[in-house]
Amino acid sequence: MELKLTEISDSVWHLLPEWILISSLIASVILGLILTQNRQTILHALALVTYLVAFFIIIQQWPSQPTSLFGGMLRLDDFSSFFKLLFLGGGFLTILISTKKRVATASEYILLINAIVLGSCLLAMSMHFVMVLLSLELVSLSSYILAGFGFDKKSSEGSLKYFLFGTVATACMIYGFSLIYGLSGTLDFSSSQFVSALSNSSSTLVLIGSFFILAGFLFKITAVPFHLWAPDVYESAPTPIVAFLSVVPKLAGFAILVKVVLSVNLFGQSDYPWQTIVAVIALASIVVGNLSALAQTNPKRMLAYSSVAQSGFLLIGLATLSMEGIHFLMFYSVIFLLMNFLVFSTLHQYEHAGEMLTVDSFAGLGRVSFLPAFSMLIGMVALTGLPPTAGFTAKLLIFSSLWASYAETSTGILLILFVAGLIATVISLFFYLKIPYFLFLKEVPSNAARTKSSRSGNLLHLILVILLIYLFIQPGVLMGWINQITFVL
Amino acid sequence: MNLLSLLIFVPIVAGLAALAIPSRYAGSFRLLSLAVCLIQSILLIFIFTEYKSGVGFQLIEKIPWISLDLGTWGILQAEYFVALDGLSLPMVALTVGILLIATISSWTIDKNRKGYFILLLILNGAIIGSFCALDFLLFYVFFEFMLLPMYFLIGIWGGPKREYASIKFFLYTLLGSILILIVIVGLYLSVKTPDASDRVVHTFNVVHMQDTDNLIPGSALALDSTSQLGPYSFRLWAFLLLFVGFIIKLPAVPFHTWLPDAHVEAPTPISVILAALLLKFGGYGLLRFAYPIFPDSAIYFSWLVGFVGLVSIIYGALNALSSRDLKRLIAYSSVSHMGFVLLGIASATVEGVTGAVYQMVSHGIISAMLFLIAGVLYDRTKDRLIENYSGLAVKMKSYTAFVLIAFFASMGLPGFAGFMGEVMIFFGAFQSHSANGLLPTWMAIAATLGLLLGAGYYLWTIQRMFYGTYAVRNTLTDLPDLNRREYLMLLPLALAALLFGILPQLLLNFINPFATEFVNTWFPFEKLLTP
Repeated sequence: MELKLTEISDSVWHLLPEWILISSLIASVILGLILTQNRQTILHALALVTYLVAFFIIIQQWPSQPTSLFGGMLRLDDFSSFFKLLFLGGGFLTILISTKKRVATASEYILLINAIVLGSCLLAMSMHFVMVLLSLELVSLSSYILAGFGFDKKSSEGSLKYFLFGTVATACMIYGFSLIYGLSGTLDFSSSQFVSALSNSSSTLVLIGSFFILAGFLFKITAVPFHLWAPDVYESAPTPIVAFLSVVPKLAGFAILVKVVLSVNLFGQSDYPWQTIVAVIALASIVVGNLSALAQTNPKRMLAYSSVAQSGFLLIGLATLSMEGIHFLMFYSVIFLLMNFLVFSTLHQYEHAGEMLTVDSFAGLGRVSFLPAFSMLIGMVALTGLPPTAGFTAKLLIFSSLWASYAETSTGILLILFVAGLIATVISLFFYLKIPYFLFLKEVPSNAARTKSSRSGNLLHLILVILLIYLFIQPGVLMGWINQITFVL
Repeated sequence: MNLLSLLIFVPIVAGLAALAIPSRYAGSFRLLSLAVCLIQSILLIFIFTEYKSGVGFQLIEKIPWISLDLGTWGILQAEYFVALDGLSLPMVALTVGILLIATISSWTIDKNRKGYFILLLILNGAIIGSFCALDFLLFYVFFEFMLLPMYFLIGIWGGPKREYASIKFFLYTLLGSILILIVIVGLYLSVKTPDASDRVVHTFNVVHMQDTDNLIPGSALALDSTSQLGPYSFRLWAFLLLFVGFIIKLPAVPFHTWLPDAHVEAPTPISVILAALLLKFGGYGLLRFAYPIFPDSAIYFSWLVGFVGLVSIIYGALNALSSRDLKRLIAYSSVSHMGFVLLGIASATVEGVTGAVYQMVSHGIISAMLFLIAGVLYDRTKDRLIENYSGLAVKMKSYTAFVLIAFFASMGLPGFAGFMGEVMIFFGAFQSHSANGLLPTWMAIAATLGLLLGAGYYLWTIQRMFYGTYAVRNTLTDLPDLNRREYLMLLPLALAALLFGILPQLLLNFINPFATEFVNTWFPFEKLLTP
């Protein structure tokens, strides 16, 4: 690969948001060493400002011509910019809700979140398998450490489990890269060489290699059968971290998964039934996620399985392999970010009063303070996919694309997915409503811990609630924006 | 904003505004709720003066709501589209009346009044909205919007097993609405607006959906669609899904099991709303959506629809006969009476459809009365077991009088509203065999058994509870007769039940044009009889 110096210097400016993230990351390490222990809020403020600045720079870049950077390692286009905005938004919200500060490790905390956001941004832009590996590992390694930030035995166990599963998934992915490299002779999965070599190859290794690659991404998005780590990690990690891990790395995984699946599907030319494969994974995630969540009594484990099921719904958009489906996947991603943060942030607020180990501990708290309970209710209703929240719109759109895809191709698995997905919504109501049920319907036990509802927390929740309802009434605002995104590989 | 939108949004806005009132002014919430209901009654009078008896939709309000660009498939378009016709006007009028009475009945609620009345107001708006909506998405949104308030109203203010009953109610109803949603998704993608433009506009507009010319050729739900799934085409499946979705709400056997639980556990005013209004969505949904959108499938399955109705009539009545709990008895009698609605709709004759709508209104009035009656007793003794009472006629004279009126009206005695509905349904069902050949005569004959059983369980209950020597088990308190508030609730209902029994023309003026147009447009006899 030849790379001209001018090309590199041109590329550098396109990565301005990433440079800002890197500088902020280094600054937070240095500031962490200098600042006295009670001044650590400065670090939070720095991170918030960083995300805001990077956010506005990306908006400035919008809409952009797809630009290939660093000789085809990365590509800046609207598709990746869209996801980058989501990652920055996710990082921003995470810092905002990280109210339980552990002073001694504050700078590491910020640093790791920064690193994951950075890795996710790069991952969304990657067009080359080596770049995919590097950025994915930046995300993964930082996540393993963050998952252990509870600093107790359980948290270490979760972190270790995450690490072990993660390394195996990465190993699979690298093995897949090597197989595909051997078959195609290139690591750039957007190149015409890649497409022509794979479409001429009749070896089954194409299927096996591609599936190994996808395994690495499916692990990140907690799709069945790569979801086993999620419940343990979610249960043991601090709640803001769980909110973060359940959104940012997951959406990064989706961004790259979409690109790679479209690429290995060879734009419809592939001999292998990629549509069926994605649909089966989506179906399995929805069914396993929803059914496993039913039996959970720990709210965070329940939300872990809910997150598995939500991945299944997002995958439906990909399973249609249509532009519309992927647009709706992006719409769903935004809503997913909003509703997930709403639920976890409310959960975190309740945790201030004491550990919420089982759903029973919510009993009657809705009568003690109304607003947090109301936010929780709206969050859960949105996750279930009921009006009047944007969760309904997102599900409606994604199922519409599935129906259209079925009507076009008459693939049986898509119909099964359609019906099973909608029926799963009824099942999911049962566990999503569990917490609101305890909040509102149960009597307050005499020894209940009183939640102090913080004003800033309530304000944040209220904003998220209003956004969820607003996007239900006016989905066109967001959809009109997403519709501008076209992506050519 | 026209009258209809005011009717829908006054309670919702009032409910949201009430959030700002501190809960220590507990007395203000019921006054607010009552004021809203009175305003609605006034609006309703204006609506009646504006509404011209005849065919078609009136008081139309249509505002673009969602317009989404779906790329290559065209444009998704949903509207805020509300209007009234001969089917929805009686339902809306019933809703306003029943909610006024339910609010009066809620006067004694002490626990967390703020929450209760806010939920009641939101429920109020959602019910009226669902009856008026002519955009399928809008209908669905209002329809779902009823679930959460209802869930909390049963779950927080209900009886001992309220938690179980509320979640069962929610799950059943949600299952039904998901089945409806499946059809909505398939349907809007198969329907386009008639106005020609260069891009396809997919619409949720029910009026467009009802016109088969708007089906996109080659789409899955097109008339000539060859898509099959198992034994049936997609159109047949779509009708079946809508049918099951709506009869869960009706409810018909075998999807009725949530009803007795929800009724027994719900507080009296909520039982009244549930029986008098929410059950009507079953029949309303079939007449508004399932039948006109899929008339061909409706004809194909008319036997099934009639049979499910028949089974509900008889099975519901038998269950009522064996119920020991007064509220459970009334709940099962509802299943039986709503079965008649199905039978009338299945006949697809003018008489049958008119009767079905009439029956929905009369059941709304009478079941509200029945549940209030059960509530009166429960308020005094906290006991609803029939066997624990006897000779109540001695102590509670006016109460007994109202019970007799309600029971006889529900039994379908001539002179009461229930009679008019049922008799027209029987006309339709008997006529169907010769007129359009949809229902066999034996179904109509077998359905008369429901009337006999109805007389059986009501008369037996009267005998057990009201005749004989006065005795009340497990209660030491004396049983006072009706108080003024209870008179206020029961008297208008009793008068309405009589009025619509003696002067059916009052209602038929609205219902009959609707039924005639319904049958002539979608189920003309000549088309059905020629094979």
